[in-house]
Amino acid sequence: MDDLGPGEEEDEDYIDEEEEEEEEEADAVRSGKAGGRKRQRSEFIDDSAAEDSEEEEDDDDEDDEDYGGGGGGRRGGGGGGHRKKKKTASQFFDEEAQVDSDEDEDEEQGEDDFIVDGGADLPDEEDARRMHRRPLLPREEDQEDVEELERTIQQRYARSSHTEYDEETTDVEQQALLPSVRDPKLWMVKCAIGHEREVAVCLMQKCIDKGSELNIRSVIALDHLKNYIYIEADKEAHVREACKGMRNIYASSKILIVPIKEMTDVLSVESKAIDLSRDTWIRMKTGNYKGDLAKVVDVDNVRQRVTVKLIPRIDLQALANKLEGREVPKKKTFNPPPRFMNVDEAREMHIRVERRRDQMTGDYFENINGMMFKDGFLYKNVSMKSISAQNIQPSFDELEKFRQPNENGDGDVASLSTLFANRKKGHFMKGDRVIIVKGDLKNLKGTVEKVEEDTVHIKPKARGLPSTLAVNEKELCKYFEPGNHVKVVSGATEGATGMVLTVEGHLVNIVSDTTKEVLRVFSDNVVESSEVTSGITRIGDYELHDLVLLDNYSFGVIIRVESEAFQVLKGVPDRPEVALVRLREIKCKIEKKIFAQDRVKNAIAVKDVVKILEGSCKGKQGPVEHIYRGILFIYDRHHLEHAGFICAKSQACVLVGARANGDRNGDLVSRFSQLRSPARVPQSPGKPRGLQMSSGRNRGGRGGHDALIGTPIKIRKGPFKGYKGRVVDVKGQTVRVEMDVSMRILTGKFYRLSRPFYVHGYPISASITSFALCAVDREHLSDNVNVSTPYRDSSRYGSGSETPMHPSRTPLHPYMTPMRDPGATPIHDGMRTPMRDRAWNPYTPMSPARDPWEDANPASWGSSPQYQPGSPPSRTYDAPTPGGNYSEAGTPRDSSPAYVNAPSPYLPSTPGGQPPMTPSSAYLPGTPGGQPMTPGSGGLDIMSPVVGGDSEGPWFLPDILVNVRRSVEETAIGVVREVLPDGSCRVALGSSGNGETVTSLPNEIEIVVPRKSDKIKIMGGAHRGATGKLIGVDGIDGIVKVDDTLDVKILDMAILAKLAQP
Amino acid sequence: MFFHIVLERNMQLHPRHFGRDLRDKLVAKLMKDVEGTCSGRHGFVVAITGVEHVGKGLIRDGTGFVTFPVKYQCVVFRPFKGEILEAVVTMVNKMGFFAEAGPVQIFVSNHLIPDDMEFQSGDMPNYTTSDGSVKIQKDSEVRLKIIGTRVDATEIFCIGTIKDDFLGVISDPGATS
Repeated sequence: MDDLGPGEEEDEDYIDEEEEEEEEEADAVRSGKAGGRKRQRSEFIDDSAAEDSEEEEDDDDEDDEDYGGGGGGRRGGGGGGHRKKKKTASQFFDEEAQVDSDEDEDEEQGEDDFIVDGGADLPDEEDARRMHRRPLLPREEDQEDVEELERTIQQRYARSSHTEYDEETTDVEQQALLPSVRDPKLWMVKCAIGHEREVAVCLMQKCIDKGSELNIRSVIALDHLKNYIYIEADKEAHVREACKGMRNIYASSKILIVPIKEMTDVLSVESKAIDLSRDTWIRMKTGNYKGDLAKVVDVDNVRQRVTVKLIPRIDLQALANKLEGREVPKKKTFNPPPRFMNVDEAREMHIRVERRRDQMTGDYFENINGMMFKDGFLYKNVSMKSISAQNIQPSFDELEKFRQPNENGDGDVASLSTLFANRKKGHFMKGDRVIIVKGDLKNLKGTVEKVEEDTVHIKPKARGLPSTLAVNEKELCKYFEPGNHVKVVSGATEGATGMVLTVEGHLVNIVSDTTKEVLRVFSDNVVESSEVTSGITRIGDYELHDLVLLDNYSFGVIIRVESEAFQVLKGVPDRPEVALVRLREIKCKIEKKIFAQDRVKNAIAVKDVVKILEGSCKGKQGPVEHIYRGILFIYDRHHLEHAGFICAKSQACVLVGARANGDRNGDLVSRFSQLRSPARVPQSPGKPRGLQMSSGRNRGGRGGHDALIGTPIKIRKGPFKGYKGRVVDVKGQTVRVEMDVSMRILTGKFYRLSRPFYVHGYPISASITSFALCAVDREHLSDNVNVSTPYRDSSRYGSGSETPMHPSRTPLHPYMTPMRDPGATPIHDGMRTPMRDRAWNPYTPMSPARDPWEDANPASWGSSPQYQPGSPPSRTYDAPTPGGNYSEAGTPRDSSPAYVNAPSPYLPSTPGGQPPMTPSSAYLPGTPGGQPMTPGSGGLDIMSPVVGGDSEGPWFLPDILVNVRRSVEETAIGVVREVLPDGSCRVALGSSGNGETVTSLPNEIEIVVPRKSDKIKIMGGAHRGATGKLIGVDGIDGIVKVDDTLDVKILDMAILAKLAQP
Repeated sequence: MFFHIVLERNMQLHPRHFGRDLRDKLVAKLMKDVEGTCSGRHGFVVAITGVEHVGKGLIRDGTGFVTFPVKYQCVVFRPFKGEILEAVVTMVNKMGFFAEAGPVQIFVSNHLIPDDMEFQSGDMPNYTTSDGSVKIQKDSEVRLKIIGTRVDATEIFCIGTIKDDFLGVISDPGATS
C-alpha cells in the first residue's frame, strides 16, 4: 500500500495504474505519517522524484535491488539517482493515509472499484507493465475515466487537493486521516515464516486473477514482522476467503484484528533520523565485531552499504592454518580480542599479504585473505542494517585505541566533530564556560550568553574582542578549571561526581569523590555540580556494596555500578578478581548474617574490625562488610582499589580489638550484642521500651538470628525428638535445623528446641537459654541444674560463668569450645576470675570488672554517685552499659538494631511457666526497668555517655512476686518489698510476703510471670509502676487493663510482673 | 588556613552534673563534643581556646536535661583553594599520592606531579625524578597547593598540586635516614 493521504486529484489520475502497484508493494510499506501526504508515484513521476521523502528514497533503494530488472532502466534518471517512478495508490490509499508505497514496478491500472468500493478489476500484469513505461502525459486520459471517482474523493477530502501535495499538513488534517470504525480493518494473518513477501505477492496475483471476487483491499508484509502479514478488509470472512487455498498461509490459525489505534503503527516506520556520513562513529550489530566501535569511512547509499574501519579481531594463527589448508578446529567459542593487524607478523606466519591500491580512493591496502587492512585497521564493507548509528557514545578508551596507530592530532579533531554530532539539544546553557576548539579563535575561552539553534553566543574572556561572539556549536567545547566540582552526565561513568584535576583539551581528568579514582572523560559529558555521588548506585534490586550470588555460584561484592552492569569483586581470596556482571547474571543478594572464625578462632561478625595477616593485602585492616563461605569482604578506607573492598579468607585475618580500653570494650560489647542480642535485650538499657516491644515481633530480624545460627540444639518433640542438630536459619518463630545425623534440614519452632549442652564460654548460650530453657524439660537441662545459681549470676554474660563449676565440661565437649569461645571469652572472663587465666582468653583485661563498675565505664558518668542507687548491681550493669555507650564508638550501625531485634527469642519463654532456674526470665523484667529513665536518650547522642548510666534504673518494683534463688537448687517465692539503691532487693518470702525478709541480688531474683487474670505490675515502658490486670495473653504480648486509666494496653509479657496479693 | 573565631552551640547537660563544677563539666563536654569535628562552613575545629559566655539553661521537659547556649572561641582550620600547605604523605600509588595536613586529606594526582617524576612501584611505592634526587614516598613532607576542595559534613577533601614553582618535597625521610 502506498500512500494514503488526503485524496488528491493526482491520485485519481493515476488510479488506474496504481492499484496493482499497491499490492506488489506490500512489503515496502512506509508510513506517510510525517508528511501526512500520500505520495503517489507513477512511472511518470520520475521527474518529480524530488518530492519523495527521504524515507521513500530508502525504500527505493531497496526496491531497486529487489526489482532491479524491471526498474533498472529508470534508475539514475531522477535526482535521487536510483528512483524509480512510483505510482500512487488510488483513493484507496487515501483512506489509508499512512502508508507510502515505494514500488514502482507496477501496473498503472488501478481500478476504481477495487480501490474505493472494494471490488476492482485488476488489470493484468502485462498491462501494468506497459503502463509502467508510459510517459507522464498519458495520465490525462485516465483522468477522464476516473472523473467520477475524483469527485468523490474531492468531496471526501475537500481540504486537500493536489496543489497541496507538497505542503505540510497540519496535525488536524493528520488526525482526519486516521482510521476510524468505518474504515476497513486490518487483520493479522499467520503465514509461513520467511514467506511473508511471497504471500503478499501471491495475494496480489490472486487479486489480479480473481478481480472483484476478492474483497480484500490490501496486503501488507512487514520486514520486521516475521510470520505474519496484514490484510486489509472489511470483514474477517473476506480475509478467510482470500486466504483460502494459499499455500503459505495458515488459514486455520486465528485471524486477529488489529485494533484501530494500532493500525497506524502497523504502517508507520521509525524515522531514520541519523544519516550516516563519513567519520561517524557506529557500532556493529552482528558478527564477531558485535558491539565494537567502528568508524564510517565510506557510505554507499545506493547499495545500502558502508565501509567501516574497525580494530580487527583476527586470530592470525587460525587464519594461517586456514590458508594453508590445515584443518581448523571449529571452535567458535572464543572471540579474538581486538588487536591491530601487524602485517609483518602476518607475513611471518606465511600469510599472504597483498598490497593493493584501491581504485576509488587511491589508497593502498593490505589484502589478507580478502580482508582489507590499512594502518592496522580492518576496513570492512558491511550492510547498513548491520550497524547501529544511533546513540553511539564511544568511551574514551575506545577512542584512544582508535587513535593509537597514527598519533597525530588530526584524527582527534575529526572524532571530536563526530562526538559533537551526538550532542543533545540544549547542550550549552547560559553561563557555561566554554572554549573554542576549532578555527581561528581556537583556545579562546568565554561564557555562554545565548544559544540559538546551532549558534552559541559567547562572551569571550580575552580583551579587545567584541563583547559577544557568535560561534557555531560545533566549535565549542565545555571548559572546566582544575578544582571544579563536576558531575558526569553521560558516558560510562555517568552519574559520578568528582573534582577536576586537569584539563587536556576537550578531556578532563576528574578524581571521583567516592572511589578516589581518576576518571578521564570528555568535558562535554560533565557539568558543574556541587553534589557528591558515586553515580548510580543501584540497578534493580542490587545496590552498591551488596553481596551477591552470581550465576555460577560464585559470589562477590558489587564495587561499582555502571550503566548496565556491575563490577563485582569476586570472593576469591588470593587475588582480587573483578568481574563485570550484568543484572541477569546475578542470582540473588546474599543477606544472611554469617559468622566466620579468624585465625585464632575468634568469631567474626559483620562490622568487626579485622586485620589481614596474609596475602597481598597483608596488614590492611578494616571492618568486615560481608561474610560468606568463610570469605570476608573487608572495607579498608585506605585501600583504593575495588572501592576499598578487600576479599580475604577469614582464616587469614585476625580480629582486632580496639586500641583504648574503652574502645575495646565497646568493640566487644557491640560484637557481643550482635552475637547474643536476644539475651541482652532484656537487660539492655538505653533502648526505649517501645522499640523492644515492636521488635519483639520481628524476631526474624538480624540481631535475632545471629545468636541462634550455628547453635547446637536438641529437638524435644515430634518425630525427631531427641535428635541433635544445629540451627542454620532463623525465621520468625521457626528455625531450620541441620540434623547432625542425617544432614537433613528441618524446620521447627523454637520451643521444640533445647540446647543439649551448656558449654561454658559461649556467649550465645545465654540467649539460647532465654528461649530454649523455658520451653525445655528439666531433664534436658539436668546438666545444669546444680549450677543454676552461678548460672544465673552470669546469665547475662553467657553461661561462661558455669565453667568454674564444671571445669570438666570443657574437655567433655571440646568440639564446641572453639566455636563458642570466641564470642564468649571476652564476656565472661571479666566475671569469673578463674577464667582469666585461660590461655585462649586474649581479652581478659578488657572485660568489665565485676565490682567496680566505674572502671569499666568512662569516668564521666561512672563516678556520679547519684546513679548508683538506681543502678542494679554492678554485674548486671556492666555489660549493658558499654553496649549503650560504645555502640557509637564501636559499631554504630549494628549495635542498636541488635538490641532492637533482640527481644524476640526470649519471648516465647514467657507464656510457659518457666522452670525456676531459667535464668533469663529473671532478667527480662529487669530490662524494662531501666527504660523510663532514658526518655529521649535516642536523640541525645551527645550525651551518650550518660545514657548508659541513667537508663539503668531499678529493675524491680516493690510488691511484685518473684522467685528468689536461695541456693543452688532451692528457690522460694517472695514479694519484693523494697528496691535498694544498689539494685538488690529486699524480698519478703512467701507468696504473700509474710515470711522472713532477705536481701537478694537482682540476679538471684526472677519475676513470676503472670497468668491470665493475674494482677500485674508494669515493669517498663511509659506505664512503669502502674498496676493492672492481665486479661489475656497473645503470644508474646500481654493484654493488660491498667487500673488507673482502665485503658487496655498490649504490652510485652516481659515487662509484666505478677503483683503480690496483699 | 587557621582562624580564631567565636562559635555558638547549645549544650545539653545531664542534671547529675549540676553542682559547683557545672561550668567545668560544661566546658569539658564542649571540648569533647566539638574539638575535632568538621563543619563545612568553618572547617575543622582544632581547639577551644575559651568560653565567652554561657547562657541560661533551659530545662527540657521529660528528661531533665538542660540546654545551655554556649559561646566559645576556637581555632578552626579550613583549607582554601589556592592555599599552600605543608603536608605529610600518607600513601603513594600509581594514581598519585595522598597527603595529610592535620585532619585534611589531600590527593595529589599524578597529573599534578611534575612530569619528570615517575612512579616506582615496589615495597615502598614512590615518585622519583629521573636523576633520583627527589623522591616522594610515604612520610615525606611536601609543600603543595590546593586546587580544589570538597567539603562534606564530616570531612574535607582536597586535591592539590605540586606541579608549580617552589612546591614539592621539603623533607625526605629517606634522605635523612
